[in-house]
Amino acid sequence: MAAGRIPGQRWYTPYLFAIPALALFGVFFAWPAFTAIQLSFLEYDVVSPPVYVGLENFTKILGDGRFWTALGNSLLFLVGMFPLLVVVPLLLAVLVNQKLPGIRTFRMLYYLPVVTSMVAVGVAWEYVFHQQGVLNWMLTGAGLLDKPIQYLLDPFWALPALVLVEGWKSMGFYMMLYLAGLQTIPTNLYEAAKVDGAGAWHRLRRITVPLMVPYIAVAVTVEMLDAMQAFTSIYVMTKGGPQDATLTLGYYIWSAAFEHYEMGYASAMGLVLWVLMIALAILNYRLTRGRAVMP
Amino acid sequence: MRLRRAGMYILLSAIGLVFVGPFLILLSAGLKPAGQAVFSFPPDIIPRPPVLTWVIEAWTAIPFPAYLLNSVIYVGVTVPLYMLVSALCAYPLARMNFRGKNLIFFAILSTMFLPGEVMLIPRFLVVSQLGMADTYAGVILPGVLSAFGIFLLRQTFAGVPREVVDAARTDGCHELRIFWHVMLPAARPTLAILGIFGFISVWNSFIWPLVVLKDSAKYPVALGIAYLAGITGTDVRSLAAGTIISIIPVVVIFMIMQRHVLEGMRGAVKG
Repeated sequence: MAAGRIPGQRWYTPYLFAIPALALFGVFFAWPAFTAIQLSFLEYDVVSPPVYVGLENFTKILGDGRFWTALGNSLLFLVGMFPLLVVVPLLLAVLVNQKLPGIRTFRMLYYLPVVTSMVAVGVAWEYVFHQQGVLNWMLTGAGLLDKPIQYLLDPFWALPALVLVEGWKSMGFYMMLYLAGLQTIPTNLYEAAKVDGAGAWHRLRRITVPLMVPYIAVAVTVEMLDAMQAFTSIYVMTKGGPQDATLTLGYYIWSAAFEHYEMGYASAMGLVLWVLMIALAILNYRLTRGRAVMP
Repeated sequence: MRLRRAGMYILLSAIGLVFVGPFLILLSAGLKPAGQAVFSFPPDIIPRPPVLTWVIEAWTAIPFPAYLLNSVIYVGVTVPLYMLVSALCAYPLARMNFRGKNLIFFAILSTMFLPGEVMLIPRFLVVSQLGMADTYAGVILPGVLSAFGIFLLRQTFAGVPREVVDAARTDGCHELRIFWHVMLPAARPTLAILGIFGFISVWNSFIWPLVVLKDSAKYPVALGIAYLAGITGTDVRSLAAGTIISIIPVVVIFMIMQRHVLEGMRGAVKG
Protein backbone atom coordinates (compact mmCIF):
# COMPACT_ATOMS: atom_id res chain seq x y z
CA MET A 1 0.00 0.00 0.00
CA ALA A 2 2.09 2.93 1.18
CA ALA A 3 5.54 3.35 -0.26
CA GLY A 4 8.52 3.19 2.04
CA ARG A 5 6.84 1.01 4.62
CA ILE A 6 9.27 -0.56 6.99
CA PRO A 7 9.44 -4.37 7.05
CA GLY A 8 7.86 -5.66 10.21
CA GLN A 9 5.67 -2.63 10.60
CA ARG A 10 2.00 -3.55 10.37
CA TRP A 11 -0.34 -1.48 8.22
CA TYR A 12 -2.24 -0.36 11.28
CA THR A 13 0.78 0.76 13.33
CA PRO A 14 0.52 4.48 12.40
CA TYR A 15 -3.17 4.52 13.27
CA LEU A 16 -2.53 2.96 16.68
CA PHE A 17 -0.17 5.83 17.47
CA ALA A 18 -2.71 8.41 16.35
CA ILE A 19 -5.72 6.88 18.15
CA PRO A 20 -5.58 8.90 21.38
CA ALA A 21 -5.32 12.20 19.51
CA LEU A 22 -8.03 11.20 17.04
CA ALA A 23 -10.37 10.11 19.83
CA LEU A 24 -9.92 13.45 21.60
CA PHE A 25 -10.40 15.23 18.29
CA GLY A 26 -13.66 13.40 17.69
CA VAL A 27 -15.10 13.90 21.16
CA PHE A 28 -13.95 17.43 22.01
CA PHE A 29 -13.68 19.09 18.59
CA ALA A 30 -15.66 17.39 15.82
CA TRP A 31 -18.69 16.41 17.90
CA PRO A 32 -19.03 19.85 19.60
CA ALA A 33 -18.50 21.63 16.26
CA PHE A 34 -21.34 19.59 14.80
CA THR A 35 -23.45 20.24 17.93
CA ALA A 36 -22.81 23.99 17.65
CA ILE A 37 -24.28 24.09 14.17
CA GLN A 38 -27.23 21.96 15.23
CA LEU A 39 -27.87 24.07 18.35
CA SER A 40 -28.03 27.31 16.43
CA PHE A 41 -31.29 26.12 14.85
CA LEU A 42 -32.79 25.13 18.19
CA GLU A 43 -34.28 26.79 21.20
CA TYR A 44 -32.75 25.05 24.20
CA ASP A 45 -32.62 26.06 27.87
CA VAL A 46 -30.95 22.83 29.13
CA VAL A 47 -34.04 21.92 31.23
CA SER A 48 -36.83 21.44 28.68
CA PRO A 49 -36.26 19.48 25.46
CA PRO A 50 -34.89 21.45 22.50
CA VAL A 51 -37.33 22.90 19.97
CA TYR A 52 -36.47 23.40 16.30
CA VAL A 53 -36.93 27.08 15.41
CA GLY A 54 -35.32 27.29 11.99
CA LEU A 55 -33.48 30.53 11.38
CA GLU A 56 -35.19 32.34 14.24
CA ASN A 57 -31.98 32.66 16.28
CA PHE A 58 -30.23 34.31 13.37
CA THR A 59 -33.06 36.75 12.66
CA LYS A 60 -33.13 37.54 16.37
CA ILE A 61 -29.46 38.56 16.12
CA LEU A 62 -30.32 41.14 13.46
CA GLY A 63 -32.79 42.89 15.76
CA ASP A 64 -30.78 42.52 18.98
CA GLY A 65 -29.28 45.89 19.88
CA ARG A 66 -27.03 44.35 22.53
CA PHE A 67 -25.48 42.04 19.94
CA TRP A 68 -24.50 45.02 17.80
CA THR A 69 -23.19 46.86 20.86
CA ALA A 70 -21.11 43.80 21.69
CA LEU A 71 -19.84 43.48 18.13
CA GLY A 72 -18.90 47.16 18.12
CA ASN A 73 -17.07 46.79 21.42
CA SER A 74 -15.21 43.71 20.16
CA LEU A 75 -14.09 45.65 17.11
CA LEU A 76 -12.96 48.49 19.40
CA PHE A 77 -10.91 45.91 21.30
CA LEU A 78 -9.41 44.75 18.02
CA VAL A 79 -8.52 48.25 16.89
CA GLY A 80 -7.39 49.43 20.31
CA MET A 81 -5.10 46.47 20.89
CA PHE A 82 -3.50 46.76 17.47
CA PRO A 83 -0.88 49.39 18.39
CA LEU A 84 -0.31 47.69 21.76
CA LEU A 85 0.25 44.22 20.33
CA VAL A 86 1.49 44.69 16.78
CA VAL A 87 3.51 47.92 16.85
CA VAL A 88 4.90 48.45 20.37
CA PRO A 89 6.14 44.85 20.80
CA LEU A 90 8.22 45.19 17.62
CA LEU A 91 10.01 48.18 19.15
CA LEU A 92 10.40 46.27 22.42
CA ALA A 93 11.84 43.31 20.52
CA VAL A 94 14.40 45.54 18.79
CA LEU A 95 15.29 46.93 22.21
CA VAL A 96 15.81 43.53 23.88
CA ASN A 97 17.60 42.10 20.83
CA GLN A 98 20.70 44.12 21.76
CA LYS A 99 23.73 42.31 23.05
CA LEU A 100 23.92 43.72 26.56
CA PRO A 101 24.79 42.00 29.82
CA GLY A 102 21.59 41.14 31.69
CA ILE A 103 19.32 41.57 28.67
CA ARG A 104 17.72 38.18 29.39
CA THR A 105 16.49 39.51 32.72
CA PHE A 106 14.70 42.37 31.01
CA ARG A 107 13.10 40.00 28.49
CA MET A 108 11.89 37.91 31.39
CA LEU A 109 10.44 40.93 33.21
CA TYR A 110 8.52 42.05 30.13
CA TYR A 111 7.18 38.54 29.72
CA LEU A 112 6.01 38.25 33.33
CA PRO A 113 2.40 39.39 32.72
CA VAL A 114 2.07 36.73 30.00
CA VAL A 115 2.64 33.87 32.43
CA THR A 116 0.31 35.18 35.13
CA SER A 117 -3.39 34.46 35.00
CA MET A 118 -5.79 37.06 33.63
CA VAL A 119 -7.60 36.92 36.98
CA ALA A 120 -4.47 37.97 38.86
CA VAL A 121 -3.72 40.64 36.27
CA GLY A 122 -7.28 41.95 36.52
CA VAL A 123 -7.04 42.18 40.30
CA ALA A 124 -3.65 43.91 40.10
CA TRP A 125 -4.97 46.53 37.67
CA GLU A 126 -7.99 47.23 39.84
CA TYR A 127 -5.44 48.54 42.36
CA VAL A 128 -3.75 50.62 39.66
CA PHE A 129 -7.10 52.03 38.46
CA HIS A 130 -8.37 52.77 41.99
CA GLN A 131 -9.66 56.27 42.58
CA GLN A 132 -6.74 56.84 44.96
CA GLY A 133 -4.49 54.56 42.93
CA VAL A 134 -1.18 55.14 41.25
CA LEU A 135 -2.57 55.96 37.79
CA ASN A 136 -4.81 58.75 39.08
CA TRP A 137 -1.93 60.03 41.16
CA MET A 138 0.36 60.21 38.12
CA LEU A 139 -2.22 61.77 35.79
CA THR A 140 -3.46 64.38 38.26
CA GLY A 141 0.13 65.08 39.31
CA ALA A 142 1.12 65.67 35.69
CA GLY A 143 -1.84 68.01 35.29
CA LEU A 144 -3.55 65.76 32.72
CA LEU A 145 -6.57 65.24 34.97
CA ASP A 146 -8.38 67.72 37.19
CA LYS A 147 -9.75 65.10 39.51
CA PRO A 148 -9.33 61.30 39.84
CA ILE A 149 -11.44 59.07 37.60
CA GLN A 150 -13.01 55.73 38.48
CA TYR A 151 -11.94 54.20 35.20
CA LEU A 152 -13.83 50.91 35.47
CA LEU A 153 -17.11 52.61 36.44
CA ASP A 154 -16.95 55.26 33.75
CA PRO A 155 -18.84 54.41 30.52
CA PHE A 156 -16.23 56.21 28.46
CA TRP A 157 -13.05 54.99 30.15
CA ALA A 158 -13.97 51.40 31.03
CA LEU A 159 -13.32 49.98 27.56
CA PRO A 160 -9.99 51.76 26.97
CA ALA A 161 -8.96 50.65 30.48
CA LEU A 162 -9.67 47.00 29.63
CA VAL A 163 -7.91 47.32 26.27
CA LEU A 164 -4.89 48.64 28.14
CA VAL A 165 -4.94 45.71 30.57
CA GLU A 166 -5.36 43.08 27.86
CA GLY A 167 -2.65 44.74 25.76
CA TRP A 168 -0.26 45.05 28.69
CA LYS A 169 -0.75 41.39 29.60
CA SER A 170 0.05 40.06 26.12
CA MET A 171 2.74 42.50 24.97
CA GLY A 172 5.56 40.25 26.12
CA PHE A 173 4.22 37.37 24.05
CA TYR A 174 4.28 39.42 20.87
CA MET A 175 7.70 40.77 21.78
CA MET A 176 9.05 37.22 22.01
CA LEU A 177 7.39 36.33 18.72
CA TYR A 178 9.15 39.26 17.05
CA LEU A 179 12.40 38.50 18.86
CA ALA A 180 12.36 35.00 17.39
CA GLY A 181 12.06 36.67 13.99
CA LEU A 182 14.71 39.31 14.60
CA GLN A 183 17.24 36.65 15.47
CA THR A 184 16.91 35.21 11.97
CA ILE A 185 18.03 38.51 10.38
CA PRO A 186 21.77 38.36 9.60
CA THR A 187 23.61 41.07 11.56
CA ASN A 188 25.85 41.92 8.59
CA LEU A 189 22.82 43.52 6.92
CA TYR A 190 22.75 46.10 9.68
CA GLU A 191 26.50 46.56 9.60
CA ALA A 192 26.41 47.22 5.86
CA ALA A 193 23.59 49.74 6.35
CA LYS A 194 25.56 51.44 9.11
CA VAL A 195 28.58 51.74 6.81
CA ASP A 196 26.27 53.34 4.26
CA GLY A 197 25.28 55.86 6.94
CA ALA A 198 21.76 54.64 7.65
CA GLY A 199 20.43 55.84 11.03
CA ALA A 200 18.55 53.70 13.54
CA TRP A 201 15.11 54.75 12.25
CA HIS A 202 16.15 54.14 8.66
CA ARG A 203 17.49 50.66 9.51
CA LEU A 204 14.22 49.84 11.29
CA ARG A 205 12.11 50.95 8.34
CA ARG A 206 14.26 49.60 5.52
CA ILE A 207 15.63 46.37 6.98
CA THR A 208 13.79 45.25 10.08
CA VAL A 209 10.18 45.88 9.08
CA PRO A 210 10.37 44.41 5.53
CA LEU A 211 12.15 41.28 6.78
CA MET A 212 9.72 40.93 9.64
CA VAL A 213 6.60 40.92 7.45
CA PRO A 214 5.88 37.19 7.97
CA TYR A 215 6.13 37.69 11.73
CA ILE A 216 3.99 40.82 11.61
CA ALA A 217 1.40 38.83 9.66
CA VAL A 218 1.35 36.18 12.39
CA ALA A 219 1.10 38.88 15.06
CA VAL A 220 -1.80 40.59 13.33
CA THR A 221 -3.73 37.34 12.92
CA VAL A 222 -3.17 36.26 16.52
CA GLU A 223 -4.04 39.76 17.75
CA MET A 224 -7.34 39.81 15.87
CA LEU A 225 -8.37 36.37 17.05
CA ASP A 226 -7.37 37.19 20.64
CA ALA A 227 -9.18 40.52 20.64
CA MET A 228 -12.38 38.98 19.29
CA GLN A 229 -12.38 36.50 22.17
CA ALA A 230 -11.65 38.85 25.09
CA PHE A 231 -13.50 37.48 28.09
CA THR A 232 -11.68 36.94 31.37
CA SER A 233 -10.61 40.56 31.93
CA ILE A 234 -14.22 41.61 31.42
CA TYR A 235 -15.53 38.89 33.71
CA VAL A 236 -13.11 39.87 36.47
CA MET A 237 -13.15 43.66 36.14
CA THR A 238 -16.45 44.96 34.72
CA LYS A 239 -18.91 42.14 33.94
CA GLY A 240 -19.70 43.94 30.69
CA GLY A 241 -20.67 47.20 32.41
CA PRO A 242 -21.12 50.06 32.98
CA GLN A 243 -24.19 50.23 30.74
CA ASP A 244 -22.80 47.56 28.38
CA ALA A 245 -19.77 49.76 27.69
CA THR A 246 -17.48 46.71 27.92
CA LEU A 247 -19.92 44.09 26.67
CA THR A 248 -17.93 42.13 24.08
CA LEU A 249 -19.11 39.28 21.88
CA GLY A 250 -17.25 36.76 24.00
CA TYR A 251 -18.84 38.01 27.19
CA TYR A 252 -22.31 38.34 25.67
CA ILE A 253 -22.20 34.78 24.32
CA TRP A 254 -21.05 33.43 27.67
CA SER A 255 -23.71 35.40 29.50
CA ALA A 256 -26.51 34.31 27.14
CA ALA A 257 -25.51 30.68 27.54
CA PHE A 258 -24.57 30.36 31.18
CA GLU A 259 -26.53 33.13 32.87
CA HIS A 260 -29.71 33.07 30.78
CA TYR A 261 -29.48 29.49 29.44
CA GLU A 262 -30.30 30.53 25.88
CA MET A 263 -28.05 27.81 24.43
CA GLY A 264 -29.46 28.02 20.92
CA TYR A 265 -29.23 31.78 20.66
CA ALA A 266 -25.76 31.82 22.19
CA SER A 267 -24.61 29.16 19.71
CA ALA A 268 -25.96 31.15 16.79
CA MET A 269 -23.98 34.17 18.01
CA GLY A 270 -20.97 31.88 18.46
CA LEU A 271 -21.23 30.80 14.83
CA VAL A 272 -21.39 34.41 13.71
CA LEU A 273 -18.27 35.14 15.79
CA TRP A 274 -16.57 32.12 14.27
CA VAL A 275 -17.37 33.21 10.70
CA LEU A 276 -16.12 36.71 11.52
CA MET A 277 -12.85 35.33 12.86
CA ILE A 278 -12.29 33.14 9.83
CA ALA A 279 -13.07 36.10 7.57
CA LEU A 280 -10.58 38.29 9.45
CA ALA A 281 -7.91 35.60 9.22
CA ILE A 282 -8.44 35.19 5.47
CA LEU A 283 -8.49 38.95 4.92
CA ASN A 284 -5.25 39.31 6.81
CA TYR A 285 -3.66 36.45 4.90
CA ARG A 286 -4.59 38.12 1.60
CA LEU A 287 -3.37 41.54 2.67
CA THR A 288 -0.03 40.42 4.07
CA ARG A 289 0.69 38.11 1.17
CA GLY A 290 0.26 41.05 -1.14
CA ARG A 291 2.52 43.05 1.16
CA ALA A 292 5.17 40.38 1.41
CA VAL A 293 6.04 40.47 -2.29
CA MET A 294 6.24 44.27 -2.45
CA PRO A 295 9.66 45.12 -0.99
CA MET B 1 29.50 55.15 24.59
CA ARG B 2 29.35 54.41 28.32
CA LEU B 3 26.74 57.15 28.70
CA ARG B 4 24.70 55.61 25.91
CA ARG B 5 24.82 52.26 27.64
CA ALA B 6 23.72 53.76 30.97
CA GLY B 7 20.84 55.48 29.18
CA MET B 8 19.86 52.17 27.62
CA TYR B 9 19.72 50.48 31.03
CA ILE B 10 17.60 53.31 32.41
CA LEU B 11 15.18 52.93 29.49
CA LEU B 12 15.05 49.13 29.87
CA SER B 13 14.44 49.47 33.62
CA ALA B 14 11.71 52.06 33.18
CA ILE B 15 9.89 49.76 30.77
CA GLY B 16 10.48 46.91 33.20
CA LEU B 17 8.74 48.91 35.90
CA VAL B 18 5.68 49.26 33.67
CA PHE B 19 5.43 45.47 33.45
CA VAL B 20 6.28 44.66 37.06
CA GLY B 21 4.73 47.72 38.73
CA PRO B 22 1.16 46.43 39.07
CA PHE B 23 2.47 43.26 40.73
CA LEU B 24 4.61 45.32 43.11
CA ILE B 25 1.55 47.38 44.05
CA LEU B 26 -0.29 44.13 44.74
CA LEU B 27 2.60 42.78 46.81
CA SER B 28 2.81 46.01 48.76
CA ALA B 29 -0.94 46.02 49.49
CA GLY B 30 -0.82 42.42 50.63
CA LEU B 31 1.95 43.05 53.13
CA LYS B 32 0.82 46.39 54.62
CA PRO B 33 -0.28 46.47 58.25
CA ALA B 34 -3.89 47.44 59.01
CA GLY B 35 -2.91 50.92 60.12
CA GLN B 36 -1.26 51.85 56.81
CA ALA B 37 -3.47 53.10 53.96
CA VAL B 38 -3.47 50.92 50.82
CA PHE B 39 -4.25 53.88 48.56
CA SER B 40 -2.93 57.38 48.98
CA PHE B 41 -1.56 60.38 47.10
CA PRO B 42 1.39 60.08 46.77
CA PRO B 43 1.51 56.26 46.81
CA ASP B 44 3.00 54.79 49.95
CA ILE B 45 4.54 51.59 48.60
CA ILE B 46 6.83 50.30 51.35
CA PRO B 47 4.92 48.34 54.05
CA ARG B 48 5.92 49.52 57.52
CA PRO B 49 6.42 46.89 58.77
CA PRO B 50 5.53 44.03 56.35
CA VAL B 51 3.01 41.70 58.00
CA LEU B 52 1.72 38.24 57.09
CA THR B 53 -1.75 38.90 58.54
CA TRP B 54 -3.39 39.14 55.13
CA VAL B 55 -1.60 36.15 53.69
CA ILE B 56 -3.00 34.11 56.55
CA GLU B 57 -6.43 35.67 56.16
CA ALA B 58 -6.55 34.93 52.42
CA TRP B 59 -5.29 31.40 53.11
CA THR B 60 -8.25 30.76 55.45
CA ALA B 61 -11.00 32.91 53.86
CA ILE B 62 -11.22 30.45 50.98
CA PRO B 63 -9.96 26.84 51.00
CA PHE B 64 -6.66 27.98 49.53
CA PRO B 65 -4.59 24.79 50.06
CA ALA B 66 -7.35 22.77 48.36
CA TYR B 67 -7.42 25.14 45.37
CA LEU B 68 -3.65 24.99 45.02
CA LEU B 69 -3.80 21.20 45.20
CA ASN B 70 -6.53 21.19 42.52
CA SER B 71 -4.37 23.33 40.26
CA VAL B 72 -1.44 20.97 40.85
CA ILE B 73 -3.68 18.03 39.91
CA TYR B 74 -4.95 19.76 36.76
CA VAL B 75 -1.42 20.63 35.66
CA GLY B 76 0.07 17.32 36.80
CA VAL B 77 -2.40 15.24 34.81
CA THR B 78 -3.04 17.48 31.79
CA VAL B 79 0.54 18.36 30.90
CA PRO B 80 2.06 14.82 30.79
CA LEU B 81 -1.03 13.54 28.96
CA TYR B 82 -0.73 16.42 26.52
CA MET B 83 2.94 15.65 25.88
CA LEU B 84 2.28 11.92 25.43
CA VAL B 85 -0.76 12.28 23.16
CA SER B 86 1.01 14.91 21.05
CA ALA B 87 4.14 12.80 20.72
CA LEU B 88 2.21 9.63 19.84
CA CYS B 89 0.31 11.44 17.10
CA ALA B 90 3.34 13.37 15.85
CA TYR B 91 5.51 10.27 15.39
CA PRO B 92 3.64 8.60 12.52
CA LEU B 93 2.95 12.01 10.97
CA ALA B 94 6.69 12.67 10.91
CA ARG B 95 8.16 9.26 10.09
CA MET B 96 5.62 6.98 8.41
CA ASN B 97 3.69 6.89 5.16
CA PHE B 98 0.13 5.74 5.43
CA ARG B 99 -3.27 6.30 3.94
CA GLY B 100 -5.19 9.18 5.54
CA LYS B 101 -2.06 10.93 6.79
CA ASN B 102 -3.05 14.23 5.20
CA LEU B 103 -6.57 13.86 6.51
CA ILE B 104 -5.29 13.46 10.07
CA PHE B 105 -2.95 16.38 9.56
CA PHE B 106 -5.78 18.65 8.44
CA ALA B 107 -8.08 17.47 11.21
CA ILE B 108 -5.45 18.51 13.76
CA LEU B 109 -4.85 21.77 11.90
CA SER B 110 -8.59 22.53 11.90
CA THR B 111 -8.63 22.61 15.71
CA MET B 112 -6.68 25.86 15.50
CA PHE B 113 -9.65 27.40 13.74
CA LEU B 114 -12.18 26.27 16.33
CA PRO B 115 -11.55 28.88 19.03
CA GLY B 116 -12.30 27.95 22.63
CA GLU B 117 -14.88 30.70 23.02
CA VAL B 118 -17.01 29.42 20.18
CA MET B 119 -16.68 25.80 21.31
CA LEU B 120 -17.59 26.62 24.89
CA ILE B 121 -21.31 25.87 24.74
CA PRO B 122 -21.34 22.73 22.57
CA ARG B 123 -18.34 21.33 24.39
CA PHE B 124 -20.08 21.89 27.71
CA LEU B 125 -23.13 20.02 26.41
CA VAL B 126 -20.99 17.15 25.09
CA VAL B 127 -19.11 16.91 28.38
CA SER B 128 -22.45 16.93 30.24
CA GLN B 129 -23.80 14.16 28.02
CA LEU B 130 -20.72 12.10 28.81
CA GLY B 131 -21.44 12.59 32.51
CA MET B 132 -18.23 14.56 32.98
CA ALA B 133 -19.75 17.90 34.00
CA ASP B 134 -18.44 19.02 37.37
CA THR B 135 -15.65 16.40 37.39
CA TYR B 136 -11.87 16.57 37.23
CA ALA B 137 -11.98 14.59 33.97
CA GLY B 138 -14.32 17.16 32.47
CA VAL B 139 -11.83 19.91 33.24
CA ILE B 140 -8.80 17.95 32.06
CA LEU B 141 -9.65 15.97 28.93
CA PRO B 142 -10.75 18.76 26.56
CA GLY B 143 -7.40 20.47 27.19
CA VAL B 144 -5.21 17.52 26.23
CA LEU B 145 -5.27 17.85 22.44
CA SER B 146 -3.37 20.80 20.99
CA ALA B 147 -2.18 21.38 17.46
CA PHE B 148 0.79 23.38 18.78
CA GLY B 149 2.29 20.35 20.52
CA ILE B 150 1.73 17.99 17.63
CA PHE B 151 3.24 20.32 15.03
CA LEU B 152 6.25 21.16 17.13
CA LEU B 153 7.01 17.51 17.86
CA ARG B 154 6.37 16.46 14.28
CA GLN B 155 9.10 18.90 13.23
CA THR B 156 11.47 17.56 15.88
CA PHE B 157 10.86 13.89 15.03
CA ALA B 158 11.35 14.61 11.33
CA GLY B 159 14.80 15.93 12.17
CA VAL B 160 16.04 12.77 13.91
CA PRO B 161 18.75 11.26 11.65
CA ARG B 162 17.66 8.22 9.70
CA GLU B 163 20.78 6.22 10.66
CA VAL B 164 19.86 6.37 14.35
CA VAL B 165 16.44 4.89 13.66
CA ASP B 166 17.83 2.27 11.24
CA ALA B 167 20.43 1.22 13.80
CA ALA B 168 17.72 0.73 16.39
CA ARG B 169 15.69 -1.25 13.87
CA THR B 170 18.54 -3.63 13.02
CA ASP B 171 18.87 -4.18 16.75
CA GLY B 172 15.33 -5.54 16.57
CA CYS B 173 13.46 -2.60 18.07
CA HIS B 174 9.79 -2.38 17.14
CA GLU B 175 8.05 0.94 16.58
CA LEU B 176 6.95 1.50 20.16
CA ARG B 177 10.49 0.95 21.44
CA ILE B 178 11.90 3.30 18.82
CA PHE B 179 9.31 5.86 19.81
CA TRP B 180 10.10 5.52 23.49
CA HIS B 181 13.88 5.00 23.45
CA VAL B 182 14.97 6.95 20.36
CA MET B 183 12.37 9.58 19.51
CA LEU B 184 11.30 10.83 22.92
CA PRO B 185 14.88 11.31 24.24
CA ALA B 186 15.78 13.16 21.03
CA ALA B 187 12.78 15.44 21.54
CA ARG B 188 13.62 16.34 25.13
CA PRO B 189 14.12 20.09 24.42
CA THR B 190 10.83 20.24 22.54
CA LEU B 191 9.07 18.41 25.35
CA ALA B 192 10.46 21.01 27.76
CA ILE B 193 8.87 23.72 25.61
CA LEU B 194 5.53 21.91 25.65
CA GLY B 195 5.91 21.43 29.40
CA ILE B 196 6.39 25.11 30.21
CA PHE B 197 3.68 26.35 27.85
CA GLY B 198 1.31 23.63 29.05
CA PHE B 199 1.99 24.47 32.68
CA ILE B 200 1.30 28.17 32.15
CA SER B 201 -1.88 27.63 30.18
CA VAL B 202 -3.39 25.01 32.51
CA TRP B 203 -2.43 26.82 35.72
CA ASN B 204 -4.08 30.00 34.43
CA SER B 205 -7.07 28.43 32.67
CA PHE B 206 -10.22 30.13 33.76
CA ILE B 207 -13.18 30.11 31.41
CA TRP B 208 -13.41 26.34 30.87
CA PRO B 209 -13.24 25.35 34.57
CA LEU B 210 -15.72 28.17 35.27
CA VAL B 211 -18.20 26.63 32.86
CA VAL B 212 -17.66 22.96 33.75
CA LEU B 213 -17.44 23.14 37.53
CA LYS B 214 -20.39 23.71 39.85
CA ASP B 215 -18.77 22.41 43.01
CA SER B 216 -16.35 25.05 44.30
CA ALA B 217 -14.31 22.32 46.05
CA LYS B 218 -12.88 21.40 42.62
CA TYR B 219 -11.86 24.97 41.70
CA PRO B 220 -8.35 25.65 40.42
CA VAL B 221 -6.62 28.55 42.12
CA ALA B 222 -7.44 31.11 39.37
CA LEU B 223 -11.16 30.50 39.93
CA GLY B 224 -10.56 30.62 43.67
CA ILE B 225 -9.14 34.14 43.33
CA ALA B 226 -12.13 35.29 41.28
CA TYR B 227 -14.34 33.76 43.97
CA LEU B 228 -12.39 35.57 46.69
CA ALA B 229 -12.69 38.84 44.75
CA GLY B 230 -16.45 38.27 44.43
CA ILE B 231 -17.07 37.80 48.15
CA THR B 232 -18.33 41.14 49.40
CA GLY B 233 -16.33 42.40 52.29
CA THR B 234 -13.07 40.78 51.21
CA ASP B 235 -10.36 43.11 52.43
CA VAL B 236 -8.32 44.70 49.63
CA ARG B 237 -5.18 43.56 51.45
CA SER B 238 -6.15 39.91 51.74
CA LEU B 239 -7.31 39.86 48.11
CA ALA B 240 -3.91 41.22 47.13
CA ALA B 241 -2.13 38.67 49.31
CA GLY B 242 -4.21 35.79 47.90
CA THR B 243 -3.56 36.89 44.34
CA ILE B 244 0.18 37.03 44.97
CA ILE B 245 0.14 33.47 46.38
CA SER B 246 -1.73 32.26 43.30
CA ILE B 247 0.91 33.54 40.88
CA ILE B 248 4.05 32.49 42.75
CA PRO B 249 4.16 28.87 41.46
CA VAL B 250 3.79 29.80 37.80
CA VAL B 251 6.31 32.64 38.07
CA VAL B 252 8.88 30.35 39.71
CA ILE B 253 8.42 27.66 37.03
CA PHE B 254 8.71 30.31 34.34
CA MET B 255 11.96 31.66 35.77
CA ILE B 256 13.46 28.18 35.86
CA MET B 257 12.32 27.30 32.34
CA GLN B 258 12.52 30.73 30.70
CA ARG B 259 15.10 29.89 28.05
CA HIS B 260 12.65 27.39 26.53
CA VAL B 261 10.08 30.11 25.95
CA LEU B 262 11.98 31.86 23.17
CA GLU B 263 12.81 28.52 21.55
CA GLY B 264 9.12 27.66 21.66
CA MET B 265 8.20 30.88 19.89
CA ARG B 266 10.81 30.20 17.23
CA GLY B 267 9.37 26.74 16.61
CA ALA B 268 5.78 27.95 16.64
CA VAL B 269 6.35 30.47 13.87
CA LYS B 270 8.28 28.02 11.71
CA GLY B 271 5.76 25.22 12.26
